Amino acid sequence: MNSPYEVPRQFIIHLADTGVIHYTFTYAFVVNGLLCALVVGPLLGGIGTMVVAKRMAFFSQAVGNAALTGVAIGVILGESYTAPYVSMFSFCLLFGLFLNFARNRTKMSSDTLIGVFLSISLAIGATALLWVSAKVNTHILDTVMFGSILTVNDTDITVLLITALLTAVTALPLFNRMLLASLNPSLAHVRGIKVHLLEYVFVLLVTILTVACVKIIGAVLVEALLLIPAAAARNLNRSIKGFVWWSIVFSTVSCLVGIYAPMRYDLPVPSGGAIILTGAAIFLATMIIRMTVPRYREAAI
Amino acid sequence: MQGPSIEFANVNLELGNTKILDDVNFTIRAGTIHCVVGANGGGKTSLIRSLVGQMPHTGRISIQWQEGRVIGYVPQALDFDRSLPITVLDFMAMTCQRRPVFLGVSRARRRLIAATLERLGLGGKLGSKLGSLSGGERQRVLFAQALIPEPALLVLDEPMTGLDLAGKDIMEGAIREFAGAGGTVVWINHDIVQVYEIADALTYINRQVLLDGAPHEVLASGAATHLFPTLTLPAREVLSA
Repeated sequence: MNSPYEVPRQFIIHLADTGVIHYTFTYAFVVNGLLCALVVGPLLGGIGTMVVAKRMAFFSQAVGNAALTGVAIGVILGESYTAPYVSMFSFCLLFGLFLNFARNRTKMSSDTLIGVFLSISLAIGATALLWVSAKVNTHILDTVMFGSILTVNDTDITVLLITALLTAVTALPLFNRMLLASLNPSLAHVRGIKVHLLEYVFVLLVTILTVACVKIIGAVLVEALLLIPAAAARNLNRSIKGFVWWSIVFSTVSCLVGIYAPMRYDLPVPSGGAIILTGAAIFLATMIIRMTVPRYREAAI
Repeated sequence: MQGPSIEFANVNLELGNTKILDDVNFTIRAGTIHCVVGANGGGKTSLIRSLVGQMPHTGRISIQWQEGRVIGYVPQALDFDRSLPITVLDFMAMTCQRRPVFLGVSRARRRLIAATLERLGLGGKLGSKLGSLSGGERQRVLFAQALIPEPALLVLDEPMTGLDLAGKDIMEGAIREFAGAGGTVVWINHDIVQVYEIADALTYINRQVLLDGAPHEVLASGAATHLFPTLTLPAREVLSA
């Protein structure tokens, strides 16, 4: 049976064949990357605004690094080293949920607790990697750490699409409530919002998103795409509407440019790195605009 | 609209090894302004957080609802990242609509929010960034959100902290108007002169209820002189007059 992605793939390849878009899009793997970018960009850009608003940047960083440990455990347990989704999802979910559970039950500041959990996770990962190196060449883990569109296949696209759908149906109806809960938990509670439950839901979303995007952006870099476009959008906006939509635009542009530019100009940069560098360039540009243009300087006060 | 009456019966609260509330008993009559006063750390905020279901208290807090069951709550302050891109309209809309605020606010709701802000002297602040408002303006925004949807009970935790005289007058007017329409107000208030002037009842709490009754009776008692030693001279003159 043909892949469900064959129609859009063939359409883009046809456009490249006829010279409408650049010839690099005649390669199926480039088109796969492009399709992923069109999902990953808006998804991470949108959720990223919430990560920034809820001050969960360090948390998402920790979950990204936990994915590496998840991969190492997966390889030891015999999963495919190119797509160890079960282990990655399981370890990251356990990591995220347990961290949130501990955060709700100690008076320790969030960054201290996340730092402790991150160190534990990395120590387990480093130990597991020793075992992994006996089984496979650990250089293949570069793909997991920094992403590679060369290896994106239909399974990865399916995982990404299911995650995107799940995130949209969960996060959209809960957006206002999650935001209010992060601004003032007491106020949210009086309005009937289950603050703790929403925290867990959000932790689950960030974790699932991180794992689903590992293949295209990389475990180490995925959280950067959660933060940088949102941080750039924050530089130039005063309302939530502008914040969210510009974050989505910046994130999607970063993904498209990051995938296209290295191929078009033959640059020796992995897709994940190129995506984040593009996002960083946008962020720097917004910083300069914010510092120099009076209108935005006012907005940033 | 008719606000509820509230009865606190043998309410106790212990956090860790610390007793925060010790056998608290008093009643709040429907449609009145009831001020809770007392020293810092005396358990006032814990008491109203117990009332709105946020503290693991024992004993009974029963709210006898009449019409409507909406609680409008004004917390002490909004502690948030001031640089976040959230306008006053965004904040107000996120408290009262389901549609994600980045997808817009309906015209009807926008009108309602604008009218409520106007009542509190914040007309024209709809598009202002929440973080760039002054402390007093932000307190009034917090008060405004408590009025949508129309509550039957207002729970206020020192809402006038940081307000200038004009701001105080506006908020006081709104509270009087709400109670005049039949709503019940539970209000933590440190300004004893204001309590004397506006409240129908006063309860002094320091872990236990030490004084309870109408302000002019309570403040005339000998115990009041002992409990309010820091009351300024002008304030004493107002009260004695």
